[in-house]
Amino acid sequence: MLDVIQQSIPVLLKGTVVAIELMAVTLVFSLPLGMPFALGENSRIKPIKWFCNLYVFVFRGTPLLLQMYFVYFAFPILWNIQIPAFPAAALAFVLNYAAYFAEIYRGGINSIDRGQYEAASSLGLSKAQTMFGVILPQMMRVVLPPVGNEMIVLVKDTALVSVLSVADIMKKTREIQNREVSLAPYLVAAVIYLIITFVLTLWINHMEKNYSKYDEQES
Amino acid sequence: MAEILKMEKIVKEFSNISALNGVDFSVSEGETVAIIGPSGSGKSTLLRSINCLTRITSGKITLNGETFVDTGADGKAKYLPEKQLSKICSETGMVFQHFNLFPHMTTLGNITYAPIKVKGIPKDEAEKRGKELLKLVGLEAKADNYPGHLSGGQKQRAAIARGLAMDPMIMLFDEPTSALDPEITGEVLNVMQQLAAEKRTMIIVTHEMGFAKEVADRVVFMDAGRIVEQGAPKEIFENPKSERLQSFLQSMLRA
Ligand SMILES: Nc1ncnc2c1ncn2[C@@H]1O[C@H](COP(=O)(O)OP(=O)(O)OP(=O)(O)O)[C@@H](O)[C@H]1O
Ligand SMILES: [Mg+2]
Repeated sequence: MLDVIQQSIPVLLKGTVVAIELMAVTLVFSLPLGMPFALGENSRIKPIKWFCNLYVFVFRGTPLLLQMYFVYFAFPILWNIQIPAFPAAALAFVLNYAAYFAEIYRGGINSIDRGQYEAASSLGLSKAQTMFGVILPQMMRVVLPPVGNEMIVLVKDTALVSVLSVADIMKKTREIQNREVSLAPYLVAAVIYLIITFVLTLWINHMEKNYSKYDEQES
Repeated sequence: MAEILKMEKIVKEFSNISALNGVDFSVSEGETVAIIGPSGSGKSTLLRSINCLTRITSGKITLNGETFVDTGADGKAKYLPEKQLSKICSETGMVFQHFNLFPHMTTLGNITYAPIKVKGIPKDEAEKRGKELLKLVGLEAKADNYPGHLSGGQKQRAAIARGLAMDPMIMLFDEPTSALDPEITGEVLNVMQQLAAEKRTMIIVTHEMGFAKEVADRVVFMDAGRIVEQGAPKEIFENPKSERLQSFLQSMLRA
């Protein structure tokens, strides 16, 4: 048992790097990409609104696993290009998470009091100044908890890429476990996931504390 | 005194209610006008149409010589294009019942944001002026606090300073003390009284009859989307002519 654990750790840490890379790529692109979709869903221009609604509906309404396979096989089948598994998986993750973030942002924007728009307008702020200077900074505060939640979900979703043979934590775990009949690799993998989510939770809490400096004080 | 605001035949219809039924109303420079009247009589709607928060159905509004909306040939109100409109409408400052301060900015940040962004005033200059305004409303010690850390009265004074920072031609107040505990309405009313004494042009929707009587140059009584009676405070409060004003004042006394 102990030596299986010992063997597993370096192998699984390699997988961890891959998983973290995937998370990083996903967040770097999907966090901002969610915003235009959120704004689009509130747009008064009907085709934009419909497109964004449809986008969110499709990507939230179908399994990420399906989307991943779809992207991976779409390239060779439709355009006869073979792309490596990691970018294919990452693309699916980005598109999928952007839909979730769009929905969270939209909720955040809609939760901002009408009075904020009225105050901004009475001061002569333009639509853009109101959005970027007044509404979105307040939205950040509101969406932090649900966005944090999605990040935790993302940590665990990365395990899905093992089905495309991307060498993430899960894939490595299966490999070791195929050689050694032992539960140890699973335990090590579980501990690694827990450490990542733990660190992420600490960071999210820290961010929330930062933002709470302008919350209403109950006296 | 020069006329700074002129509203003619203002009609505002919401989906099934008509909030304003042909209101004529004007204000002279330096005048303090109090608008009183029962709930739902159209006071807020009138005030909000002055700085374009409410778009009127028909009528004509001229602010400082510039007509920004007029009734078109089809009988519907025609507004100026968005850009010009927002510029003209920002020449009136609005103080809301619920303050509507920006919670993510400090008190000083609230006051300087629009002057910097809209008027392009340099930051240090805007802050210097912002601090003067905070002093005027008695909040110089709270410059770096967030609105969430202020009391209701302090928030409203900060909101007044924010409005003043844009150097508006007219300050509009929509029940500025209605959300406050009775003990602290005084601190806000004092600031407003001071502004009135400086001969700033102000239009104040209020339920504070004592304040209207003491501070206003003119009191306007609205009911059912119309101006029913207006005149000097003494006239309105001591010698009300219409029956509706009489019964309204009776009801305010009982309250
Ligand atoms: N956004 C809106 N949509 C529909 N009806 C509205 C809207 N705003 C106001 N009204 C209606 O218009 C009428 C006038 O409202 P307004 O808010 O101007 O009254 P008010 O005199 O300010 O009353 P209060 O003293 O309660 O603030 C009311 O019947 C109100 O219900
Ligand atoms: Mg009102």
